[in-house]
Amino acid sequence: MLQGVNRKIGLILALLSIGYLYMSYQLPTYPYIPVDADAVPKTLGWVLLVLSVALFFSKDSDSEEQKAKRRIPKKDVKALLGVGALLLIYIMLFETLGFIIMTVLFVYFCSWFLGYKNHIVNAIVSIVFPIALYSIFVFMLQIKLPQGILPF
Amino acid sequence: MGAIEGILTGFEVAFSWEGILFVLLGVFVGTFIGMLPGLGPISAIAIMIPITYGMDPTLALVMMAGVYYGAVFGGSTSSILLNAPGISGTVASSFDGYPMAQQGKAGKALAIAAISSFAGGTISVVLLMIFAPMLASVAISFGPPAYFALMLLGLTAIASLSEGSTIKALISAVVGFMIATIGIDPQTGTGRFTFGSMNLLDGIDFLVIALGLFAIAEVCYLVMNRHKTAAGSGKEIGSLKLSKDDAKEMSGPVGRQSLLGFILGILPGAGATIASFISYIAEKRIAKKPEEFGKGSVKGLAAPEASNNAATSGAFVPLLSLGIPGSGTTAVMLGAFLVLGLQPGPMLMGDRPEVFWGIIASMYIGNIFLLVLNLPLIPYIARILTIPRPLLISLVLMFSLIGVYAISFSVFDLYLLLAFGVIGFLMRMFAFPAPPFILAFILGGMMEKSFRQSMTISNGSISILFENNISLVLIILSVLSFAFPIANSIWSKKKAG
Repeated sequence: MLQGVNRKIGLILALLSIGYLYMSYQLPTYPYIPVDADAVPKTLGWVLLVLSVALFFSKDSDSEEQKAKRRIPKKDVKALLGVGALLLIYIMLFETLGFIIMTVLFVYFCSWFLGYKNHIVNAIVSIVFPIALYSIFVFMLQIKLPQGILPF
Repeated sequence: MGAIEGILTGFEVAFSWEGILFVLLGVFVGTFIGMLPGLGPISAIAIMIPITYGMDPTLALVMMAGVYYGAVFGGSTSSILLNAPGISGTVASSFDGYPMAQQGKAGKALAIAAISSFAGGTISVVLLMIFAPMLASVAISFGPPAYFALMLLGLTAIASLSEGSTIKALISAVVGFMIATIGIDPQTGTGRFTFGSMNLLDGIDFLVIALGLFAIAEVCYLVMNRHKTAAGSGKEIGSLKLSKDDAKEMSGPVGRQSLLGFILGILPGAGATIASFISYIAEKRIAKKPEEFGKGSVKGLAAPEASNNAATSGAFVPLLSLGIPGSGTTAVMLGAFLVLGLQPGPMLMGDRPEVFWGIIASMYIGNIFLLVLNLPLIPYIARILTIPRPLLISLVLMFSLIGVYAISFSVFDLYLLLAFGVIGFLMRMFAFPAPPFILAFILGGMMEKSFRQSMTISNGSISILFENNISLVLIILSVLSFAFPIANSIWSKKKAG
């Protein structure tokens, strides 16, 4: 029953629209308002449900080139997950350690992880860009970025 | 203020030293990002938005507009040199540009692209100057029903004109609209889909969506292609000189396709990509020697290049005069206006003539800068293509993260950015077009507002949408733009069967 990518995506979207519709019907309504806060969400929920059913029954008409995009080699999956993990660490420690420290470390290790082996250029780029950006934002645009454990 | 005074004010802004500096900065960044395969104008504009915080809105928008048309201008370089278009609007330029480069005439191809782009850009700015104020003066009488119908047309047109399945494009638009409903409803104060989180009360910032769906998703593909080198970009490009015959051959397609590109740019849903393809096909149809197309034809390169740049200026007509974007890229431009506290639309020309005319006037200077950047300096600028991918990936991620944090000061938004990056990547993987998503997200709130205003005026009667001639015509066009591709696909299947 769930053979074919359109069927799987159609089903996921249909479940999503049902969830969205359920929440839309929970929204409070008020008298004397011609169109309440729930009207547009309810409409969108029903439209998505209809479209999901249409997708479920439609043929996979994607080109071969597009279908090839769905197959990701294992080493690329690892690289994507690695970058994702580095991003998560960056976000988690961003406010604690501060913008400069985290960004320098992120740019350096992300480039290194993705295979850039010129350590000197990598170090220069990962120090110069974050410091330059920090200076632009904090001193020129007066937008405060987390300084973390650094005194400036 | 009259039109002449307005134009003079615009040129005053454009010719001030700050105006010149920010146009130069915008077109340079645009050329740079547009040239890099994978990163498009939406990412370019979204990445630049945080830099404009606190800036004078006029100068900021002059710069952002420069980033947009600079990206379309610069996108052709990688199409010609690498056969890897920097942006989708320059895919058609690779059909004849790349074969020309392979024949050892890369310099000539780059010169044709630059001159055609310049001509297309400049002709269309003149047309923009004429049509934007005309449309603005008509749109001033538009009421909420007409606005609602206009936005509906924008959404159905972009969904039906998107590449691939219409159902997927419509799903993309509906989900984008759904995301726009998150947060406090401005009319009743009801919290919608906030899951009790304080962070979602204000809704999701458009920059989170734009950077997530485009920049982060594009970075995922760069990660997968991280070992690809820009072979060919470092090679000798040969002479940039064009012969008299080349110039003669170019003039016809450039003139015709600039006009066509401009018109297609104005239409909702079309834009640079569709304009470039239609112009390429149109020029091939009327050519005396159509067999030369695809083998390094001068006409085959000049036509899409003039057209895609003309479409870029054309897209500014509905954005500036109606306040309604017709494409994903102009939707992000509208987001930039809103971030800077400005609302484009029919009132902009009267209320803020320096912004309205300043942006238009700066395009003349921007096009001249682009010609200089893309002709004598192109051999040097093309070296940008040799930037190691790992460094590029890290820096784009850094710009995206800082951009989002600087607008909301919230770590929660950084997690959201990551989540939308994953969604954007999955959408590309399964061929769901992202431009309808961002357009629906930006238009969603405005559409709901116009709809509810219309219903309040009519005391809840939906017939108000069909009573006004303008809204009636626009709704009929929306239905047709939605029904036509479906009918066409059923018809072609029947024919094939």
